[in-house]
Amino acid sequence: MNEQQEAVFERLLEQVQKPARYTGGEMNTDVKPWEEAEVRFAFGFPDTYDIAMSHLGIKILYHIINRLPWGLCERVFTPWPDMGDGMRREGLPLFSLESRHPVRDFDIVGFTLQYEMSYTNILEMLDLAGIPAYARDRGEDDPLIVAGGPCAYNPEPLAPFVDAYMIGDGEDVMIQLCSAVREHKKAGTSKEALLKALAGIHGVYVPRFYDVSYHADGTIAAMTPNDACAPEKVERCVVTDLNGADYPETIPVPYTDVVFDRIVLEIMRGCTRGCRFCQAGMIYRPVRERSLERLIEIADRLEASTGYEEISLSSLSTGDYSCLPELIQSLMDRYQEKRVSISLPSMRIDNIVKQSLEMTQRVKKSGLTLAPEAGTQRLRDVINKGVTEDDLIRSVTDAFECGWSTVKLYFMMGLPTETDDDLRGIGDLAAKVTQAYYRTPKEKRGKGLRVTCSASVFVPKPFTPFQWAAQDTLDMVEEKQQRLREYLKIKNVVFNWHEGHLSFLEACISRGDRRIGDVIYTAWKKGCRFDGWNEHFRFDLWMEAFRECGLDPAFYAYRERPYDEINPWDIIDAGVTKEYLIRECEKAKAEKTTQDCRKGCNGCGLQRWKGVCACYENARHV
Amino acid sequence: MKMLVTFEKAFRLRMIGHLDLMRAMQRALRRSDLPIRYSQGFNPHILLTFAAPLSLGHTGLREVMEVPVEGECNPDFFKARLQRALPPEIQLVSVRAVDDTHKSPMALLYAARYRADLEEVPDALRTALPAFLAQGEITAVKKTKTGEKTVDLKPMIHECSLNGNAMYLTLDLREESSCKPELLLRTLSDFAGVPLPRFTCTRLMLFAMRDLALIPLEDA
Repeated sequence: MNEQQEAVFERLLEQVQKPARYTGGEMNTDVKPWEEAEVRFAFGFPDTYDIAMSHLGIKILYHIINRLPWGLCERVFTPWPDMGDGMRREGLPLFSLESRHPVRDFDIVGFTLQYEMSYTNILEMLDLAGIPAYARDRGEDDPLIVAGGPCAYNPEPLAPFVDAYMIGDGEDVMIQLCSAVREHKKAGTSKEALLKALAGIHGVYVPRFYDVSYHADGTIAAMTPNDACAPEKVERCVVTDLNGADYPETIPVPYTDVVFDRIVLEIMRGCTRGCRFCQAGMIYRPVRERSLERLIEIADRLEASTGYEEISLSSLSTGDYSCLPELIQSLMDRYQEKRVSISLPSMRIDNIVKQSLEMTQRVKKSGLTLAPEAGTQRLRDVINKGVTEDDLIRSVTDAFECGWSTVKLYFMMGLPTETDDDLRGIGDLAAKVTQAYYRTPKEKRGKGLRVTCSASVFVPKPFTPFQWAAQDTLDMVEEKQQRLREYLKIKNVVFNWHEGHLSFLEACISRGDRRIGDVIYTAWKKGCRFDGWNEHFRFDLWMEAFRECGLDPAFYAYRERPYDEINPWDIIDAGVTKEYLIRECEKAKAEKTTQDCRKGCNGCGLQRWKGVCACYENARHV
Repeated sequence: MKMLVTFEKAFRLRMIGHLDLMRAMQRALRRSDLPIRYSQGFNPHILLTFAAPLSLGHTGLREVMEVPVEGECNPDFFKARLQRALPPEIQLVSVRAVDDTHKSPMALLYAARYRADLEEVPDALRTALPAFLAQGEITAVKKTKTGEKTVDLKPMIHECSLNGNAMYLTLDLREESSCKPELLLRTLSDFAGVPLPRFTCTRLMLFAMRDLALIPLEDA
């Protein structure tokens, strides 16, 4: 930023909400010398500072790139509309938080794709940066645009805009990608040559090297490589040894409030449970744990370098970590004097150890969140959520006896095979939870029971056994919500539900093909951004965009897809095989459960990574 | 023992609010591993008091805070340790050790000196300044929580001079009598009949009163 831009920026800061989102200068964000860096990476998170700075992945990759002697990584987030509009009005280009360099001066601009409804923010950021959105419109001097994260497993909706995707765990492939860019810069070769080199890296998908053809009905006829550099299928990256994987020892400490303002310890990656709706449970396989010793080492360093007063244990299913009580105990003993509290999100109902509850509440008590997901045992079997009503009641009873009085229950509506009984079941479960509270002796339980039931709308996701399923129509969703409201008219129970429109769009985009890119671009052109934020979501504009692009959203969301249809994401090998997903889908229809793969291999496809997959190892010992 | 810490809050952090700065300072103290004291109660926090919150948008060159510590602590050691735990945008100026019985800086605070850098100074404002200050009473309308209140700024002004585009102000800053630079500049602009010019503000130092003279708060 030059002096004049600085002046404009400072003036804008006085006019916008939450100016601290844009000022940087946080602890542990030391700026590396710009001139000395050979590869400059702008790490983009397409949402506000408060959301972005709560995300673990960005902190890991920020650390990894900045640790390269020749690498530099700075952060850039989406300016809130007041700031974005101000920047556009004043001609101020999007700049990085650390050194305030224009984003277009970086070699690489990378975006993490955490949820589909942030895609318009990517286009907003590129536009504010003065970088053409479509890859085909960018020249040799424009930055390389890359993306990764869970939503990159279906790379097609953003394929027109992204030069290269990194699929899977980012720790290693990120270094390889940056190294390739470094060599390309040194050699002064063309972007085309760079992209060909990138396509040769394991786990990298370069959309322009694939042609897509369609049948008359709109389904995909073929996706084929158009260049020898492009593999038939792009296999995702798997970090095989989590203990050896790089983990930050210092992380930026925000000044201003962010959603998760604490140390996040990723205790393991992956989940063995196999819930059939859960994309994370499929794409982060296999389960890999960090050792107790390594976690304590990381915690010590982060505690010393951040001064945070809370450590949160993070994973898809924290209760499954093999030495959880030991870990909690060690952390609590270690940090008692420094008043650091330990928190445990994402616990599963069936394994909440009463001991853990008692231990964590000694330091600080937070609300208890449980996710039965469905109201009846039949439907929980369909989705393979291996928990029973007894598990749930036992867990909440334990919690009530430990003094809890606030419980959140998460459900999904619109799951495949759902009937009215399943919706009624949600009401019955909530009622039983309140009964469990009143059965708990008065002197033990906390005051003021509050049970919050949230029901989200099911969105079928790629690489899950439900990837072929139809989503409920908006009318069905609305009607079911009405019924649920009736069923949940229970004393001390609050019912939260979400508008179905956002989930509908999420379904269109998450299973969308390359043509959806034009819809996203058109919607953004019409003014869509921050779609995940209620106050900015413009469903009408999205529908206009679909119409103008000649695409029918129902084709993407409401259609049950046959097994033999080519999915846009079939170009990716996510680890789990299609055969496994079909097998699971058929078992769902038959209301049959599948065992946790720690108890024996289910042959999901990950056994190909020999020695990494815990279930593979265990299965041999059984 | 208590430490009287004087620090600079850099321009880059001017949009970081008071509570956020306080939290940042608490985390820095935790990182420093100094023998800080915690409050009692269910959610213990680090004991720490700022002499006066700095308005959002202001830079501060000599802000003062009080940090109680366990036992004895060498001020130089304290300063070096804490500085290492702070981002470059927060620089420590001085650290002084005092008894627990020492009056808190918040209670000792009397006035503050500011520099307001005006983007432009209209001639009318420059010419009106002497007459403005020569008034027997400088009436201003102060917005309070309960509504508007008319006050006389005259006794609150210790210094008000214009040097180029920089206006130096020393104004009362205590519970019963306080005037912010914005209020003075707004009242002056109204008097001169010009719109309030844009300005950025730096709080240069904080004062206590001793023997009818203003002395640096950190020395009091």
